[in-house]
Amino acid sequence: MELLQLTINGVALGAAYALVALGFVLILNATGAVNFAQGDLVAAGGFLAVALAGLAPVPGILLLPLVAVLMAGVGLAVSAIAYWPLRDRPPVSVFISTIALGIIIQNGLNGLFGAEPRSAPPLFSGGYVEFFGLVVPHQSLAIMSIAALLVGGVHVLLTRTQLGRMLRATAQDREIAAALGVPVGAMVALTFSLAAALAGVAGLLLANQFFITPTHGTDFIVKAYIAVVIGGWGRVGGALAGAMLVALFETVVAAWADYAVATGLLYATMLAILVLRPQGLFGEAGGRRA
Amino acid sequence: MAEVCLTVTGLTVAYANVVAVDDVDLDVSAGEVVALIGANGAGKSSLLKGLMGLGGRVQGSIVLARSNLAGLPPPRRARLGMGYVPEGRRVFAGMTAEENLLVASTDSATARTARTEEMYALFPQLGVRRDAPAWQLSGGEQQMLAVARALMTRPRLLLVDEPTLGLAPAAAQSLIRVLRGIAAKGAAVLMAEQNARAALAAADRAVLMHLGRIEASGTAAALAGDERLLRSVMGG
Amino acid sequence: MTVRNRVRAWLGRDINPLLLAGAIGLAAWPFLAGDAYSLRLLTMAGIYALAAIGYQFIFGHAGALSLAQGAFFGFGAYVAGIMSVRMGAGFEVTFPAAMAGSAVLAALVALPALRLRSHYFALATLGFGQVVLLIAVNWENVTGGANGIPNVPVLSLFGGTVGRGWPMLMLVWSLVAIGALVARRLTGGLTGAALILMREQPMAAEAAGIDIRRIRFAAFLLSALYGGAAGALHVHTVRVVSPEVLEFPVMVMLLAIAVIGGRTSVAGAVVGAVLLIHLPEWFRPLERYYLMAYGAVLLAMIVAAPWGLMGSLRHARRRWLPEPDPPLPAAGPTQAGPSPARLEIMGLTRHFGGVRAVDGIDLVVEPGESVGIVGANGSGKTTVLNMIAGTDRPDSGHIGWAGTEIVGLPPYRINRAGIARSFQTLKLVDEMTVLDNVAAAAWREFGRTDRDSARAAAMGLLQQLDVAQTAWRPCGALPPGLRRRVEIARALIGGPALLLLDEPAAGLTAAERDSLARTLAALNADGTTVVVVEHDLAFLERFVARIVCFDQGRIIADGAPAAVRADPGVIAAWLGQPPGEGDDHG
Repeated sequence: MELLQLTINGVALGAAYALVALGFVLILNATGAVNFAQGDLVAAGGFLAVALAGLAPVPGILLLPLVAVLMAGVGLAVSAIAYWPLRDRPPVSVFISTIALGIIIQNGLNGLFGAEPRSAPPLFSGGYVEFFGLVVPHQSLAIMSIAALLVGGVHVLLTRTQLGRMLRATAQDREIAAALGVPVGAMVALTFSLAAALAGVAGLLLANQFFITPTHGTDFIVKAYIAVVIGGWGRVGGALAGAMLVALFETVVAAWADYAVATGLLYATMLAILVLRPQGLFGEAGGRRA
Repeated sequence: MAEVCLTVTGLTVAYANVVAVDDVDLDVSAGEVVALIGANGAGKSSLLKGLMGLGGRVQGSIVLARSNLAGLPPPRRARLGMGYVPEGRRVFAGMTAEENLLVASTDSATARTARTEEMYALFPQLGVRRDAPAWQLSGGEQQMLAVARALMTRPRLLLVDEPTLGLAPAAAQSLIRVLRGIAAKGAAVLMAEQNARAALAAADRAVLMHLGRIEASGTAAALAGDERLLRSVMGG
Repeated sequence: MTVRNRVRAWLGRDINPLLLAGAIGLAAWPFLAGDAYSLRLLTMAGIYALAAIGYQFIFGHAGALSLAQGAFFGFGAYVAGIMSVRMGAGFEVTFPAAMAGSAVLAALVALPALRLRSHYFALATLGFGQVVLLIAVNWENVTGGANGIPNVPVLSLFGGTVGRGWPMLMLVWSLVAIGALVARRLTGGLTGAALILMREQPMAAEAAGIDIRRIRFAAFLLSALYGGAAGALHVHTVRVVSPEVLEFPVMVMLLAIAVIGGRTSVAGAVVGAVLLIHLPEWFRPLERYYLMAYGAVLLAMIVAAPWGLMGSLRHARRRWLPEPDPPLPAAGPTQAGPSPARLEIMGLTRHFGGVRAVDGIDLVVEPGESVGIVGANGSGKTTVLNMIAGTDRPDSGHIGWAGTEIVGLPPYRINRAGIARSFQTLKLVDEMTVLDNVAAAAWREFGRTDRDSARAAAMGLLQQLDVAQTAWRPCGALPPGLRRRVEIARALIGGPALLLLDEPAAGLTAAERDSLARTLAALNADGTTVVVVEHDLAFLERFVARIVCFDQGRIIADGAPAAVRADPGVIAAWLGQPPGEGDDHG
């Protein structure tokens, strides 16, 4: 029973992590760039929700679209400052520039809000449902539903729409996509905006149940990376599976051992996968790797 | 008299400190196939890339059906009627053949699917493999896909870079036949090709390039007959 | 030898007067601003400088973005702190222990992580740092948990104490000086050139026999040694063991120092450290936001001035105060390489997706032969070359060299066995001089430190290829014909038994082809086996006795040039297929 309870908690957490990983994978797929600031964008989204709730104490569901739109704007800024000027340089440059941007965001948040954990309002209400002895907070259900909706939405966008095809083409071969009429500059900007919006939503969701501090950004990016590596670098479905695994380690495994051991085990698992099966659990062998 | 589709004057394309294309003048008319031949490093590929706007410092004038293309980014040129089939195919490997075609279209959704059906009629083999991921296609099929992809927007001018590279003779013949057919429908085709024989057989006019400059130009038949010229430039 | 020449030989380069002035200024500073706080700041700057110099090994010289330097720093601090508090050990014990501990840690992480590239490696090292922090915070018995361990005693060295203020300052900066000199020695001269080759053109470095993996490993270990050392000094300066030392801001600081100061410049590390440690003092009003300022400066630097302060200074000096070129070094001998051997290729195949690039190749090249390989683009010539050189693996088949199978060997091993190659797309380092581009490839042959002999050997080859007058020019400034010759010179410096050249005549004028053909003929006459992939039959005929023609992954002709020339199949493949029936040209 307790295992089931932990698993449900883990799934809710995994759903939120999935949103974090999703934005990360989107940028990776669309630009080939690793956005180190993705985790800090999540934290920014969480704090944005906190700030907005301070102005207007409404349920989180009403804040959600506003946070998404504002964060999309931030995403545009990120792409203009940290990616576009460096798009033809070696990938290390973008990595450093996004690290730098992440530092700016993280410390900006620290300066504005301080280091204590803050909480954003719940999406609907703070209650919970009980069945068969399991306690499932409304927030957990809300997180799972919204994550499922968004992940499904992004999947549909990428696989079934013309816009999605253009995004994927830009990711695979920017030069040829441009030669075929795809507005690649706009595609890159759009990707960053979308990824930042997703990060913002993730932040809003996480900030209620799990509290949020500025340093969480580093934590989030490491977890997103682990999720993506385990699942298969660049694959959306794999990233989700990886996110679930990470969350389950944090909830289930941590309850048996302790948090530190669980994290150590998670890291060891990731390293093992990198060594034994570099394409990730769901990746295809021979895909682009290292 | 067919209208002139592409007028190039004084085109120079430079990379770093190499001048790949050196003061080239060129015309292509609607409905004709012009072959760019010459040895490796002669500048054929760089010429096509320069026309498409894909890199290098480009000087000179490029006019496509009265639109001046100078300074325009590649997506704009594509939308103004320039189609591009790159060297080495460069299909979007992670997308299916059909998705490769769809993404290249700027039409509405219904027009898009109609156009893909037209492409399948032109390349039946692609129709069979429409749902296969592009990396699984054979070299010939990928080449067909790359050409079909460039045709999705009904370009006025089709730039083709080394279409027969790595293709078996039969596939190469068939592809060149398709290119002739496209010209017959009114498009202009400018084709860079290292297989001089096949190119000259398929083209109306030909331009021989060497070290970035035009060494000779004229009707394809005339150049095909000038063995000495060909050998002197291509070696052997 | 004069003192100056001795120092120059040791350092591998001349003393820069600007840097000397800077160093004197730095030494004078504590005398001028003598208060305890300034001394402490300067001590801190030294500690970070030491860690940054170490970081430069992996980040700058090896070109791998590691984010673990903070972890090595913190780990060293913990080891030194714990041993000093719990065991009362003196610095003479804790210092080496801290370094050794960090090195062991680095070795553990390196084994899985180092095979990753760029961002994979970065995030793997970052995650590792997070784990170390987690352990420090949770393993209360040993580490004191979140509160750490207070009251670390004053540094004691062989019984005597090194107190705060001047003594600590002197100790730290002496160690910085030693560390800096060692770093300079390890990465200067010929090794410096080899390192540049390694990170700018890794494939070319591998083809020159350099084992990149091992060097990256060594760089990573060195960075850990320096990081641990700096951590040990840190813990005795702040007198407390605390998890703060493992937190991300430390890594940020080190990254910022390296990017802002200059990734490979020791002087840059010192300048960067002094600057960035003092920055919060100057930005007092920004207290809470000072890290934001770091981030902003870091971002600005990577976008606008990626070579950092020292690199920008160097660029500016070269532009505005160019020094005249030194005289050309005299030519010297190359080291003798392995003796000639037989190359046997059997049943080689290679498929890419649906394309059969190489479709069953059998080829034997006897020692001392000269062979030209011709065929259309896409016929498999370069693929076969790549498979011989080890940059590509066949799907099936064997390649034997001197009786041993070389399929599956890494390129650097194949080079050490006596096979050298040039690349179709030139892989030279544009910012490095022609002379050093060639000399760098002889790093191993000349004991890794003998730059003069390596340069002499390079000079000899450059003369042979008639490109010696450009020796001091940066490679990027040369036209393609000359660059090609430089690359061939580089391939020759190991004294190879088999030389593989991939379209060496591309972009060369007729006169240059002439000259190259003569050089290759002479080389072959000396006993080197020469295999050249080319399009120009006339060029080949001047120095090869045998032509092999490829078409669609197979060999369709193999024999004397005259015979191959006349072969109808070759003519068809060569000048192109004549039109077949069904072709509707009209």
